[in-house]
Amino acid sequence: MAEIQLRNIEKRWGQFTAVRDLSLTVENREFIVLLGPSGCGKTTTMRMIAGLEPVTSGDIFIDGTRVNDMPARDRDIAMVFQNYGLYPHMTVREHIAYPLRLRKVPEPELGNRISAAADKVHLQDFLDRRPRALSGGQRQRVALARAIVRTPNLFLMDEPLSNLDAILRVSMRAELKHLHRELGTTTVYVTHDQIEAMTMATRVVVMNNGAVEQIGAPEDIYGDPENLFVATFIGSPPINQIRGRLAGGVFQASQASLGGFAKDISGDAVLGVRPDNVSIADRDADLKGTVFAVEYTGSDLLIVVEVGSERVTLVGDMSKRPRIDQAIGLKIDRRRAFFFDAKTHARMRAAL
Amino acid sequence: MSNAEQGGLKPPSRSTRIGRMLQPWIRRLALWLFALWCLFPIYWLLTMSLKRQVDAISRKPKFIFQPIWDNYLNVLASGEVWLFFQNSLIVALGTTALSLLLGVPTAYVLARYRFAGNADFGFWILTTRMTPPVAMLIPFFVVYIRSGLFDSHLGLILAHTAITLSIVVWLMKGFFEDLPLELEEAALMDGATHFQAFRQICLPVALPGIAAVAILTFLFSWNEFLFSLVLADRIQTVPVGLYNFVGYQQIRWGELTASAVIMLLPVLLFVFIFQRQLVRGLTLGAIK
Ligand SMILES: Nc1ncnc2c1ncn2[C@@H]1O[C@H](COP(=O)(O)OP(=O)(O)OP(=O)(O)O)[C@@H](O)[C@H]1O
Ligand SMILES: [Mg+2]
Repeated sequence: MAEIQLRNIEKRWGQFTAVRDLSLTVENREFIVLLGPSGCGKTTTMRMIAGLEPVTSGDIFIDGTRVNDMPARDRDIAMVFQNYGLYPHMTVREHIAYPLRLRKVPEPELGNRISAAADKVHLQDFLDRRPRALSGGQRQRVALARAIVRTPNLFLMDEPLSNLDAILRVSMRAELKHLHRELGTTTVYVTHDQIEAMTMATRVVVMNNGAVEQIGAPEDIYGDPENLFVATFIGSPPINQIRGRLAGGVFQASQASLGGFAKDISGDAVLGVRPDNVSIADRDADLKGTVFAVEYTGSDLLIVVEVGSERVTLVGDMSKRPRIDQAIGLKIDRRRAFFFDAKTHARMRAAL
Repeated sequence: MSNAEQGGLKPPSRSTRIGRMLQPWIRRLALWLFALWCLFPIYWLLTMSLKRQVDAISRKPKFIFQPIWDNYLNVLASGEVWLFFQNSLIVALGTTALSLLLGVPTAYVLARYRFAGNADFGFWILTTRMTPPVAMLIPFFVVYIRSGLFDSHLGLILAHTAITLSIVVWLMKGFFEDLPLELEEAALMDGATHFQAFRQICLPVALPGIAAVAILTFLFSWNEFLFSLVLADRIQTVPVGLYNFVGYQQIRWGELTASAVIMLLPVLLFVFIFQRQLVRGLTLGAIK
């Protein structure tokens, strides 16, 4: 159990900066999720915390001790590698036993702990196999079991569920959440699956191009994004974007003019509104367009409406399925609409 | 076939069909010819060892002759063969053990650690192979005479190790470089020291490679002639012992080849037993 502090850490390879000026405090018992597109520096950040990659600049503290120069094994961190990092010559049982053996856990205790860990990840039937004879998902679970068989300071998990099928993923997700509640071990978890991030995290760190875009609770990341990147990266279907100009509480887009916004912000802006917060309106429509596509997802009906040159998606009512090319009016929930600066993409916030 | 027809594909023309039928036979023929080419010297060795001296040195090579066992009996009776055999075994095993003991950890460090002069060091090791071994023979001889290593098993082991070490290091370096770095990283995260990661993870995983290198080293030492001849006198290894049959006046072909066959057998057996490891080791790399 530990608190981790990253202070202005940077990682450069030659001219290339993989992680820039990252500061983050992970509280004891927290479950932090690093979320971001491929190549944004999530794994690199993990490896720096683990001690496998030296930082170019900045400091890392674990429980107040600066660990920049502490070798990986002394940090007492368990890590699940993105590519599993399994030992080809060891059976699943030997994998799970290895961290315990290194810690000289007595043999009688070993058996129990191995089967407990294997049970948690549903690997009981594979204990005598070697990695070569396992599927990708099974290998991933071996890596997971090897990490959870001991109680380290900190768990680092690099996309530990990415290779599992949908059902197993949901059940492993619950298993990990439960495990976290049970053990209370501080966890840093990497994923690019936003559902995983939203459901598991106490806080989410959204990264892009090696920099932090926003750190916050899942509700804040979704409901109060700091910038256009976070707004578009989180949420499925993605947030609608309408370009225009905001002045005096009125948003002037190419096709329409929407009133009723805060009067104290102005300038070229992007209006962002989630599909949930757009509704069909027969009278007093904010936007008028024609139905471009109707997508049935199983639980929702997604209606894509063409408004001038832009497309707006909304979540429709199952019972009222519009026809393609039908003219349609849309209403936007003012309280749930965000404005972003058209140039900097930063959130434009009204003073309260 | 029926699929192809249903799919509306044209059936292959007559000449293509004949070509396809012949293809496996042509391939087999080529392989047989190659095998014959490779095995002929062995065949000649075997038959020669069963020939009388007159048959062996007859101007026209004799394929049909009266086989005799005298050569083998003579050689075995003299008992020298066993001595050569014993010397070779000691030297070859010693060389293999020493080369691996020194070479494998060196290769690992060169493959995995960045330090000033890493590349230079690797290159420097390789330069020992850039001069013909003969060039080093005289210095070796002088040093050996002065230090008392001359005509000792240890001396031969050291000399052979000096020659093979660079190859061992470079081959093993390649094997270790091909192992994913994540192996050791995972071990470190599991709580292993660098040495434990090497001993318990890398070494076992690289075992096929190590086995292959061991076999190559063993065979090299077993067959090495020049250094074994010059750096020893009474201690004669197999190739040096065989050389005894080459006299000033004549070459005793029958006994020479009979001894060669006797001493070839254990090596053949050895390679035969380990050929799977050898092939696997030499094609190692794709560990996923
Ligand atoms: N050893 C290295 N040398 C140079 N560049 C590297 C090295 N390792 C990673 N990078 C670069 O750093 C960037 C961040 O890599 P990283 O592995 O952290 O991405 P990631 O966020 O984990 O992506 P993914 O979701 O695909 O796993 C990438 O652009 C990558 O090419
Ligand atoms: Mg990654």
